[in-house]
Amino acid sequence: MESAFDTRHHYDDELDDIRAALVELGSMVAANIRRAGVVVTEGRLNEVDAVIGADRPINARYHDLEEKVFTILALQQPVASDLRFLVAATRILYEMERSGDLAVNIVKQVRRLDGVPTDLRLDGLVLRLSDASARMFDHAVEAVATMNAAIGIGAEQEDEETDTVTGDLFTAVTERQDAIGLEACVALFYIGRFFERIADHGVNIAQHITFAVTGEFPDGDG
Amino acid sequence: MADRIGTTVDSVDHTRPETLEDASPSLAATRSPRVTGGTPSDEHAVILELSDVNAYYGDFHAVDSVSLPIREKEVTAFIGPSGCGKSTVIRSINRMNDLIPTARIEGAITYHGVDLYAPGVDPVEVRRRIGMVFQKPNPFPKSIYDNVAFGPKISKYSGDMDELVERSLTRAALWDEVKDKLSDSAYALSGGQQQRLCIARAIATSPDVLLMDEPASALDPIATLRIEELMYELKQEYTIVIVTHNMQQAARVSDRTAFFSVDVKEGQRTGRLVEFADTATIFTNPQHDETEDYITGRFG
Amino acid sequence: MTTAATRREEATRAAVEKAITHGGPKLGSLAFRLLLLALLVMSFVILAALLADIASSAWPTFAERGPSFVMNGLSLNPATAGVWTGIVGSLIIAFIVAILAFPVGVAAAIYLEEYAPDNRRTRFVDTTVRNLAGVPSIVYGLLGLAIFVPVVRGIGLGGSTGGKNVIAAGITMAALVLPIVIITSAEAIRSVPNSIRDAGYGVGATQWEVISSHVLPSALPGILTGTVLTLARAFGETAPLLVIGVATGFFSPAGDATLLDQLTGPYTALPVVVFSWSRQTQAAFADTLAPAAIVVLLTVLFALNGFAIWLRNRTEGRW
Repeated sequence: MESAFDTRHHYDDELDDIRAALVELGSMVAANIRRAGVVVTEGRLNEVDAVIGADRPINARYHDLEEKVFTILALQQPVASDLRFLVAATRILYEMERSGDLAVNIVKQVRRLDGVPTDLRLDGLVLRLSDASARMFDHAVEAVATMNAAIGIGAEQEDEETDTVTGDLFTAVTERQDAIGLEACVALFYIGRFFERIADHGVNIAQHITFAVTGEFPDGDG
Repeated sequence: MADRIGTTVDSVDHTRPETLEDASPSLAATRSPRVTGGTPSDEHAVILELSDVNAYYGDFHAVDSVSLPIREKEVTAFIGPSGCGKSTVIRSINRMNDLIPTARIEGAITYHGVDLYAPGVDPVEVRRRIGMVFQKPNPFPKSIYDNVAFGPKISKYSGDMDELVERSLTRAALWDEVKDKLSDSAYALSGGQQQRLCIARAIATSPDVLLMDEPASALDPIATLRIEELMYELKQEYTIVIVTHNMQQAARVSDRTAFFSVDVKEGQRTGRLVEFADTATIFTNPQHDETEDYITGRFG
Repeated sequence: MTTAATRREEATRAAVEKAITHGGPKLGSLAFRLLLLALLVMSFVILAALLADIASSAWPTFAERGPSFVMNGLSLNPATAGVWTGIVGSLIIAFIVAILAFPVGVAAAIYLEEYAPDNRRTRFVDTTVRNLAGVPSIVYGLLGLAIFVPVVRGIGLGGSTGGKNVIAAGITMAALVLPIVIITSAEAIRSVPNSIRDAGYGVGATQWEVISSHVLPSALPGILTGTVLTLARAFGETAPLLVIGVATGFFSPAGDATLLDQLTGPYTALPVVVFSWSRQTQAAFADTLAPAAIVVLLTVLFALNGFAIWLRNRTEGRW
């Protein structure tokens, strides 16, 4: 029992709990993002409500955690790395909550796609996009779980794939305008835009972790 | 929230889901966060109740009409500017004020429903159940062992004294530092260690309640944080009341906070209770402007 | 290049230097220090001269007689007279003072400091004790003659002297030093920090437990030091003993006397021996034996004072 007595053991526990809860929330959001991708690419209309329903606990958890971070800021007077982490945590919470909302928004577009003729090129691009953004988001959650500053530093480059695929998707949709109809076009634009936004949130989360760890925000427009 | 597009999801829904597992992730091993400090539940029973307590020193009205409940296994902090009567109130709880000849308490302080100021109540018995730790570490000029053993000895403790001393010192997070020098003078310890020794001495008599009158004000920051951490551990077993002039300390350690202020009337300074609430509320959203001004450092 | 800014800095520096530097040693304070030093040296010189005079007068006695001067009893013959009888008498008086004045004085001090309410009566008692400490010792001699001598006789310890014995002398000396024991003990008790008392009460000790376990042990060094010093005072006092009938001439205790006979019979004390020898018409007594007896008395007193200082140093600075 050397060093039997950390001076702020209880406070350290609280910070650990916040980090663990962030990872858990991120995992819940990530799971819903993947599910939204499946719903969109396989047209599983019957699972739309499940994805929407799964966002409720995410929101509840978000508010709960936000309050906890707020309370710790008020009561424990964090400084230095603790302060950076908690400030980053409030931003990460916001990014995660928004990402969860975007997954909900994505599945809501699925009904508009009902009855649209199958197009392999479009399905392939949506699949690639959903996969890429989900991976980006997973990576961000990993950065939180391991407090890995490197992930945030490389995040902009990593995110380029999503941007490229989104551009390809928009081009393909425009070309097939007449075949699939205006409503499906709008739906697909939204879906593309939302997945891309999710990946952006993932980038931001990883960058907030970089800030929490190093005290510096990664270069880029962050 | 401006960039939210086409969503009808109610994002201010505070209700918890039936089962979190439904939405549970596969990605990372998770553990649910436990309830953090500052959000006490009302499950803890009231162990001490101050009702309309007035304190006088001779003709001087020191504290005006304080009423508040103290719940068991919580840390209750008294904060406020100098002369607000917070020390007077805490010292009245175990009748330490009896030792000041001119001091007088009116109103009732009940402990498990029994009025501590009822005729026939023995203050010595009260103090064995409601122990006290003082502002300046005040070990007896004796060995570390004798310091801890004194209380149990006078209350005719019949068990294994060595074991009790070890247990008390362990609970006070001091055992590892002193186990090889129990017969050394307590004065050989550092200030922070002395204060933990005083805490060990206080808990050796197995009190219900520990009163701490500015227990860290004479200590350096690290020793202070150790005492605070110790308080967090001790509240699993004891009810703690702490007076502190350090607001941040109250924020860090307490579950509930009482803010006292002082009125100056005709040259007399009379303390009174302004606000009593759970600590998170006091420090994030106090209901009284006076509290707000004090904790934000704009008054006092 | 001297800019306006650096000129201003230089001016400030000069002004500050002028303000905080003084022009040299202040004559007034130097003179005062020298005066104090001179007074100190003067008192030491007087003391040293006195001691040297006595020591030189006493030296032949110690040189010729050796330990027999200390070990021999009183005698009319200067060649064999010694101070032993006086030493024994003084020791018995000191012993009686210790067993009477110490417990009574400490008990009174505890009462005054710990129990007595802070009211006019207590303050009156306190003031009276302080005044009693300043009463001339001869007055205690009169008190002893008027009260203690008859009392000792009354309880059957009068012996061959009718009460004018070492028991009455001890009681009288105890009364003489009692106020001082009370005052020094009260000071020692008062100097025990209140935090120690709080600590005791805080763990549920009664008032007597706090006093007996913490206050008295903490105050004991101070009390003991004070008591030893009062014993030294009792050792050196002469006047009260003269009033209550100490033997100032030669006497010889019966060789087969019991302890009671010795206690109730005639007695003398070391300072009284000095006093009576110095009044002797035989030159040997006044010129050589009396200084030698003074040296013995001073040695005992210095030893007692040294013991008191040792006690204090050993226990000082514990808070």
